[in-house]
Amino acid sequence: MGLTRRDFLKTSIAASTAATVGMPLSKTAEAAVKQTEAGWQWDKAVCRFCGTGCGIMVATQGGKIVATKGDPDAPVNRGLNCVKGYFLGKIMYGADRLTQPLLRMSNGKFDKKGKFVPVSWDQAMDVMVEKFMAAYKEKGPHGVAIFGSGQWTVPEGYVGAKLWKAGFRSNNIDPNARHCMASAVAAFMQTFGIDEPAGNYDDIETTDTAVLWGANMAEMHPILWSRITNRRLTHKDMVVVNLSTYGNMSSDIADIEIVFRPSGDLAIQNYIAREIVKRNAVNWDFVNKHAVFATGPYDIGYGFRPAKADQFASAKEMEVVKNEQAHVIDKWEAIAQRKQEGEVVKQTNILGAKPAADWAIGFEDFAKALEPYDADFTTAVAKGNPDESDADFKTKLQKLADLYCDPKRKVVSYWTMGFNQHQRGTWVNEQCYMNHLLLGKQSMPGNGAFSLTGQPSACGTAREVGTFSHRLPADMVVNVKKHRDTAEKVWKLPANTLNPQIGSHYVKIMRDLEDGTVKWAMVQVNNPWQNTSNLNHWIKAAREMDNFIVCCDAYPTVSAKVADLVLPAAMIYEKWGFYGNAERRTQGWRQQVPPPGQAKGDLWILLEMAKRIKLKDVWGEQKVAGLKEAGFEDGKLPSVLDEAAKMGYKPDMSLYEALFATPDNKKSYKWPDAVAKGHANHIAETLKDGWFPEKAMFEEYRKFGSGHGHDLAPFDVYYDDKVRGLKWPVVQKDGKWTETAWRFNEQYDPYVKKGAGIEFYGNNGKSMVMGDLDKPGDGSKKVDISGKAKIYFRPYASPVEQPDKEFNLWLCTGRVLEHWHSGSMTRRVPELHRAVPAAVCWMHPKDADSRGLKRNDLVWVESRRGKVKVRIETGGRNRVPRGLVYVPWFDEGVLINKVTLDSTCPISKETDFKKCSVKVYKA
Amino acid sequence: MNLSGILVVSKPERMAEVVTSLAALQGIEVHQSDPASGRIIVVQEAVDIHAELEAIKRIKVLPHVIMAEMVYHYIAEDEKEYEALPPELEAVGEACSIPKDLQE
Repeated sequence: MGLTRRDFLKTSIAASTAATVGMPLSKTAEAAVKQTEAGWQWDKAVCRFCGTGCGIMVATQGGKIVATKGDPDAPVNRGLNCVKGYFLGKIMYGADRLTQPLLRMSNGKFDKKGKFVPVSWDQAMDVMVEKFMAAYKEKGPHGVAIFGSGQWTVPEGYVGAKLWKAGFRSNNIDPNARHCMASAVAAFMQTFGIDEPAGNYDDIETTDTAVLWGANMAEMHPILWSRITNRRLTHKDMVVVNLSTYGNMSSDIADIEIVFRPSGDLAIQNYIAREIVKRNAVNWDFVNKHAVFATGPYDIGYGFRPAKADQFASAKEMEVVKNEQAHVIDKWEAIAQRKQEGEVVKQTNILGAKPAADWAIGFEDFAKALEPYDADFTTAVAKGNPDESDADFKTKLQKLADLYCDPKRKVVSYWTMGFNQHQRGTWVNEQCYMNHLLLGKQSMPGNGAFSLTGQPSACGTAREVGTFSHRLPADMVVNVKKHRDTAEKVWKLPANTLNPQIGSHYVKIMRDLEDGTVKWAMVQVNNPWQNTSNLNHWIKAAREMDNFIVCCDAYPTVSAKVADLVLPAAMIYEKWGFYGNAERRTQGWRQQVPPPGQAKGDLWILLEMAKRIKLKDVWGEQKVAGLKEAGFEDGKLPSVLDEAAKMGYKPDMSLYEALFATPDNKKSYKWPDAVAKGHANHIAETLKDGWFPEKAMFEEYRKFGSGHGHDLAPFDVYYDDKVRGLKWPVVQKDGKWTETAWRFNEQYDPYVKKGAGIEFYGNNGKSMVMGDLDKPGDGSKKVDISGKAKIYFRPYASPVEQPDKEFNLWLCTGRVLEHWHSGSMTRRVPELHRAVPAAVCWMHPKDADSRGLKRNDLVWVESRRGKVKVRIETGGRNRVPRGLVYVPWFDEGVLINKVTLDSTCPISKETDFKKCSVKVYKA
Repeated sequence: MNLSGILVVSKPERMAEVVTSLAALQGIEVHQSDPASGRIIVVQEAVDIHAELEAIKRIKVLPHVIMAEMVYHYIAEDEKEYEALPPELEAVGEACSIPKDLQE
C-alpha cells in the first residue's frame, strides 16, 4: 500500500474516532486499528472528574493504562470526551506520585515540627491511632473529624460514614460536597422532601429552552454542553439563555446573555414570578393539586461563627463578620423585604435549625411579597454590567419572562455553583423551583429545574450515602429518632449507639481546629487546605495548634503539606468503585491496574484503622458537649457495651470485625468473585481474609434505600457488559432491573400513585403550620402537604461584603475547563498543564487602565483576609464587566482562597465562593 | 506534532459545503463522512496543544457546522518532548521520592 508511518497513524486515528462515535469502518481502517491496539484489554469505566458521569473505555496492557476513550455505548456522552476526560489515563502517572507513608519526625519519633520521613504502614497506623485515641479520650466523639469527598466511591463513603457514625459515634464527617452541593440538597429537602433532580439529561433533547443560572456549562460540563449546542442548532425553537456575573464561554452560543450583579439572581427570580402572576400565567390546575405556598425568616445571619468571632477574626474581618449579630438594612433590602433603610435587624434565627424554619402562607401573601420586584427595581439591583443601559437590561428581563411564561414552550433551568455557592444558596435554589412549579413545568420530559453537580459522586456518595454531618443513608438524618432507629437496625447496633447531635460541617471543622475543639482530623479524596475560603486561618490552625492531621492523597497537595501524616492513596482505576452522577445514574468500574509502590485505596485505610480500634474504646459512655435529646442524658452518649454483649459483641472485638468483616459478610460476599472477569482487587487481596468489601458494603447499603424511592440494583447488575449505569429508583419489572427516567411523574416513576399524574411523594404524611409573611401562626391551623411541593417566597438580600472605597472590586472564583478542582491531578498531565499553566486574574481593560495596569502585569489581589500574587488577563475566554475580577482556584501557586470570604448559606452551610470584595494593585 | 481525530457534525443538506471548507483549512484531512447524519471525521495536525485547541475553534466557526469535538488524540514524532515534564513540574521531584515541597 505504500503508506508512510504518518499516513498509517492518521488512518488509524480517523478509524478510532469513527468507531468511537459509531460510524462504520472501511476494511483498511479496521486493520489499522487492530494493529495499533493489538494486546490491549478494554473495559468499561466512568470518568474521574465532573458530575456529568461520562462513560469511558479504558485500555490496559502490562499493568499500565495505555489508552482511554469515550464509551460509544454510554448514553451520557455517546463516545465523546472533553479535554480532561481525553487525558484521563495520564493522571495516575505524575512523577511525584506518593507511594509510601510519610510522617513528620525528629530523632526517630513523631514531631509536629519535624520533617517528613518515610515510615511503614504499620508505624503510620500505630501513630495515627494513638493520636486518634488521645483526642477521642480528651474531647469525646466530636473531638475527631474527617473531611470526606464527593469523589469518594460509594463503598468508600459508606464505610467512612459507618465507621464514623456507628463506630466512633461521631457525626464530624463532612464532604467537600458541602462546598458544592449543600444548597441544592437543602432546597430539594425543603421543597420536595426528597433529594436529587426529577429529570435527566434526555431533557436536553426534548426541551425548547435551556436557561443557565450561574452554570458555565461550556467549561464545567463540556459534554452536556455539546448536547445543548447540538439541540440549539438542530431544533429551530431552541433558545439558550446564559445568566452569569460575567460573560463566559457559555455565552458564545447563547441567544440572550444576562450579566447580573452578585446576588441579583434573587431579584430576577422574583421578577419572573411576579410576571407569571401579573400575566395570569400561573398553572392553577397544577398549583392547586401539587403545591403549597410557603416562606421563612429573613434574619438568618451569614454563616459566620455564631459567637465570640472576634477572638479569631481580625478587626478588619469583623467589619463584615459583625453582620452575623446585627445587619443594617440597605436601600434595596428595604424595598425587597418591606423594611426601612438603615433599620438595624438583630439576626435572631442563626442557630441550629432556626434558619431553615418555614411555614405555609396564602397565595395573596405570596403575591403581595412579589409586588416590589418590578422591572425598575430588578434592574436597579441586578444589572451587572455598568456599561449596559437600563433599557437593554429590561428588554432582556422581559424576554426571559416571555420564555418562562409561554405555555407552549418547554423550559429547563440549569445551575451549578453560581446558585449553590451563595449566601442565600438554599433560597435561590428554591426560587427556581418556585417558578417551575407556578408554571407547572416540572418533572416532565424537557420541563424542569435541574440542579447539576460538580463532582463525579456528589450525588452517588456524598448525598445518597449521607456522608454529611447531619445525614444518614437514603435522606435520613441523625437528629430524628425514627431515622436513627432504622440505621441502628440495618447496622445491627445497640439502641442509642448513634449520636443524635449534628456534627460539624466542613467550614466548622476548620473553625473547630482553630479553636481547639477538634484535635484529630483525616482528609480523604479532597484538598481542604486549598478548597476552603479564608485559608490563612486554617493553615495556621493546622500547623500551630496542638492537633494531628492525616492526609490521604495521591500527590503532595497543600493539604498534604500542612498534615502531620501523609498516606499514599490509590487512584480511580487502581481500585473498584461506584460513582453516582447528576441524573441519579449509578455506574461501577473494576480495578484496571495495581496502585504504585505501597499506595492503597482509601477504603483499605479506613478498614485498617477500624482493625485497630476496639468496641470498648468507643462504645462506652462518651461526652458530647451540648447534646440535648429525649432519651439521652444531657451532654452524654450512654454506654452500649452491655446491650452489645447481649447481641453477641465482645468489648475486645475490633470495629473491623463488628461492623465490616462480619461472619455474614465473609460468608455471603467472597473474593475472588466471577464478576471480576480476571480483574484484581488490591484491597481484598491485601486484607487476605477472603471477603469482597466493595460488594458486601454496596449490598448492605442498598438495604437503606430499597422500598422507599431510593432503590438500587444488586451489585452484579451494574457490571453487566450491556449496562451503562442505571438511574435510581431501580426496581424490578418483569424480572428486569428497570431505571426511572423522570421522578414524580406517573408515566415513568413506579412510586407515584396510580391516577395521580404528578405526585411529590417526598412530602407524604407531612404538614405545615399556616402563617403570614412575617411569622408562623400560633400553630392552630395546619396544612397537609402530602404529595405536594412547596413554592417558597424568598426575598432579595444583599451580599454581606460589597465593594467599598478601599476594597473596590467584586471577586468571583471558580474552575477552568482544563483543570479539575485544585489541579492536583490535571496539573500533572503535561498537556493540560501546558494548556493552562497558571491561574490569572481576569479584569476589564478599563479597570486595568484606571489602576495603571496592563495584561500580564503581576498584581496583588487583596481582601480583608489575605492576598495573593497573580498575573492580569484582560482578554481571553472570560469577559468580566467593569467592577468585577475572576480568579480560578486550581493553582496552588495562587491560593485565591486566602482572599475569599468564609460566609456560608445559613441553611445549607455551603460557602459563597462567588462574591467578596478586593483591591488589586501592582506587585 | 499533535494529531487529533475530530468529529464534525454538519447540517446533512450542507455537508458537501462543510467538507469543502474543512479541506481548505491547513493541517486538516477529511477521512470519512456520512451524508445521512452529516457527520464528518477529520484528522488534524497541529504543532502543540495550544495550536490544537486553537485549531478546533476554526472548525467550530465554519458555516453550517453544528458541533466539533476532539475524540481521539495522538502525539506523534516528538513524543519525547511531551512525555518530558514541564520545568515547573520537574522541580517537584523524582517519582517515588519524598517531594521536596513536603519538607517546607
